[in-house]
Amino acid sequence: MDNLVVIGIILAAIIILLIAGMYIHSILLTSGVVGLILLEGFDILPGLLGNEPFNRVASYTLTTIPLFVLMAQFILQSGLVQDIFYIVHKASRGKNSLLGVLTLTIGGVLGAVSGSGTATAASLGQVAMPELQKHGYSPALAGAVAASGGSLSGIIPPSIILILYGVATETPVGNLFIGAFIPGILVMVVYILVMLVYFRAGLKKQNVHKEERTVPEIAATVEDVESPSVFKLAVSSIIAVLIMLIIFGGIYSGVFTPTEAGAVGAFVGLVAAAVLGRINLAFFRNSLFETIKLTGMVMLIMIGAQIFGRFVSLSLLPRTLIGFLEPIMDSPVLVLIAISTVLFVMFMFIEGAAVILMSIPVIFPIIQEIQIDVLWFGVFISVICTIGLITPPVGLSVYAVAGVSGVRSESIFRIAFIFAAIAMLIVCGLLIAFPELATWLPASAG
Amino acid sequence: GGEEAGGVTEEGETITLRAATGLSAQHAWWEGAMVPWMERVEELTEGQVEFETFTGGELVAVPDEGSAVLDGTIDVALILPIYQPDQFPMAEVTMLPLSYSDTEIASNAWRQLIESEEELGNGQTYFDMQFADFRVFPISTTQEYSISTTGKEFNTVDDVVGTSLRTPSRIHEVYAEETGIDSVTMPAVEMYDALSRGAFDGSFYSIADWSGYGFQDLFTYTLTGVNFGHFNAFIGMDEERWAELPEDVQEAMVQAHDDIFGESIDIWTQRAEEVIAENEAAGGKFADFADLDPAVQEHFNEGIVETWINYAEMLEADGLPGYELVRKWRELIIEEGGEVPEAVMDL
Amino acid sequence: MDTLWKSYRIFNYIKLTGIWISGIFLLVMMGFIVYDVAARNLFAGSINGGFEIVQNYLMPLVVFPGLAYAYSSGVLPKMDLIIERIPVNAQRTLVIVLILIELFVLVLLVEFTWEFAMNGLERQEGFPAAGRLYPLYPLFFLIPVSFALIVIENLFLLIRNFRIKEPTLIMIADNPETEDPT
Ligand code: NA
Ligand code: NA
Repeated sequence: MDNLVVIGIILAAIIILLIAGMYIHSILLTSGVVGLILLEGFDILPGLLGNEPFNRVASYTLTTIPLFVLMAQFILQSGLVQDIFYIVHKASRGKNSLLGVLTLTIGGVLGAVSGSGTATAASLGQVAMPELQKHGYSPALAGAVAASGGSLSGIIPPSIILILYGVATETPVGNLFIGAFIPGILVMVVYILVMLVYFRAGLKKQNVHKEERTVPEIAATVEDVESPSVFKLAVSSIIAVLIMLIIFGGIYSGVFTPTEAGAVGAFVGLVAAAVLGRINLAFFRNSLFETIKLTGMVMLIMIGAQIFGRFVSLSLLPRTLIGFLEPIMDSPVLVLIAISTVLFVMFMFIEGAAVILMSIPVIFPIIQEIQIDVLWFGVFISVICTIGLITPPVGLSVYAVAGVSGVRSESIFRIAFIFAAIAMLIVCGLLIAFPELATWLPASAG
Repeated sequence: GGEEAGGVTEEGETITLRAATGLSAQHAWWEGAMVPWMERVEELTEGQVEFETFTGGELVAVPDEGSAVLDGTIDVALILPIYQPDQFPMAEVTMLPLSYSDTEIASNAWRQLIESEEELGNGQTYFDMQFADFRVFPISTTQEYSISTTGKEFNTVDDVVGTSLRTPSRIHEVYAEETGIDSVTMPAVEMYDALSRGAFDGSFYSIADWSGYGFQDLFTYTLTGVNFGHFNAFIGMDEERWAELPEDVQEAMVQAHDDIFGESIDIWTQRAEEVIAENEAAGGKFADFADLDPAVQEHFNEGIVETWINYAEMLEADGLPGYELVRKWRELIIEEGGEVPEAVMDL
Repeated sequence: MDTLWKSYRIFNYIKLTGIWISGIFLLVMMGFIVYDVAARNLFAGSINGGFEIVQNYLMPLVVFPGLAYAYSSGVLPKMDLIIERIPVNAQRTLVIVLILIELFVLVLLVEFTWEFAMNGLERQEGFPAAGRLYPLYPLFFLIPVSFALIVIENLFLLIRNFRIKEPTLIMIADNPETEDPT
């Protein structure tokens, strides 16, 4: 069958199956397998299907996925986040806007010890949202703060998205981590600024309906909660700082590679939990099960994406696309804007890791063709991906927060989408205008 | 010749062959051997044969090219048998360390080894024992492997012992073991990062290959004048797929291979020269083996002999003619102008 | 509790065993890499062949045994735009079609990964590390087995959707007591 016809059929099938609510990994597998059959017949399948699952999984670099997630799980299950948020709460006493700023900052700090935005968002939702709501934040705004704070783990290194991109494009993960640092901070700053505007606007609205304010409820906040001892709080903060120092110090001093940092980080997280006295069977069960579930999800999608990628290669789709884009290939900025718009839409609907994995086979050849810096592009799409964690209709950070807080995801999305849109415009605009934001640090560190 | 070849005639329907490698499109084997070969075949068949190419693991990853050719996923590929010592245990013979050789010497020896009619054992030639499923077009080996470090120098035997080097093949691991070098294994893409942060001391690597990972800015000390083997490769097709091709196409492929073989050697020499110049400009130092302390030379040479014996014994233990093979390789290398340590001559 | 749920309960124990195996190997992998880092930095020498062992043995053992549990836990992403807005009967048909497509692809995967494993067995496939060869083919059999477990999960789902009105892509009981406590 003609390649273009097959591509058309498969594209239509993907859209239909997406709308029908099929699992992402199944869509990739199905469209890949059917596409291969249409292009080449059944005979091609054994060679391409049989070895992919093993070859995909048997990768040293991919150890970072279970291990960085395990580190995040150990840290979350050890109660470290609760303790630190308690300190933040104390520190911002009386200054309600500061509480939101600090929550987002904590999101950034947690991002530096966690590779997974969803896990961080869920724990911020649990710990931070009640406090935020008691200090003048609407449930929706509190949810948006927790979700966007959690999503920062997606861009502030270590980040699973950067690891997947590095693996798919053979870009050193360490350089990607370093390159993502400044853009990660930028996203955080934009979130903070937008949050402050929302908070001010919310206060004005509340002043109008002053009589509706439930003053007694605000009065009865933290006093009810049993306060952790100063000693424990001190231990928690020291541990949090230590974890960051060990991971980044270890990578930069050459004691271990960014890949090995996953194992070391998980180990340090385990030791921290032991020091905090949080280890028991439930601790292991929860941490391990959550990690294996998330790893299984990523791997199933990776296997699906790999087989889909084989179809994409054989269909010569990237070459066809480059042909279509020919009129604007001379102006890389136009191509980039086109690509980032498509990616932004994909990240709106589809889980981030899946988007990276399914789009790389098509987009990467185009990026190479227009000679865009591979490292810069990795950081760039990770920013879009991070932002996608809080955009409707599929925003895993928002779902995680909604799940643990009971606030409806629609109302959180309404605010989170504005966070996302503004961050997208400002940070991506800055990255296009000043590529050095991503490339300068890795260049000077090498 | 081109004019009498079939061309696009009534029986000459266009044949599109799918060609792949897991290596990058810039790799010397692809750019310097596969691409010229394909272009020459297209030329000689006057367009009857066309190639659809996939590089950088887009379709098949290293080292799966061999099985992908055999199961029909692709028609022709660059095959790197050393990566699969479980399947091609005798392919590693070109990795054996030598006193002296270069790309040309090793490439010619490698080609002769594959094309040799001489029986190694059980009435079989080297080709019969290893690659009988394939139609094989041997191409150049890599340039010789050297030891390069990010600063460590080999002034005494104690400097050598305990040095941690990345070992890219099983033979290097054996050699490291024999000389007290700690072997580190990690993906090549992570090497720059780990080396630049001092995670270990250096690597066995061929100088011409440095540019793929930017090592020309990284290594500061390289030992030359002794040689840690040559990686080998061939352009391979499934034997049955090959047999189905029209005779004139087969002839064109053989002819094309003859035409490009020399060219496939030159690219390594050229690249090595460029990389050495860049490295020296960046402050890199090249130490000649002959200038090393005699005790250090002795230590390296003992390792060479032990590695030859170890490899031959390993093959013999699996019922393969290990000693016959290494003697044959020694003979070919010396015929082409290479050198081995005295003790290897006595094997 | 009827036969469907009784057998699903037994099946669940198999999946649970799988995820515990994965979890334990995850801890082993963590310890192995940490020890490797420590050995390299403190005693000047990493575990010989450590990299290959992690890649070829530990990673498959971390990922594949727990795959069926992960699959059935509801963690897999999908789009839920339309399904909730169409009539229940249409939903049910749609879900059954989706499961059938999924089964088709999964069965192909089981078949071809099994062939791959048998092939590896025949060729005694191995990998070189630290100067010797380690057998690799036994690990290949993890894959068809783990995909076969996912096929079984989908068969349960198929029966579940034929019998009960509310369509679902995860095994949820109609009355909570019959649901597995794990
Ligand atoms: Na992170
Ligand atoms: Na989204």
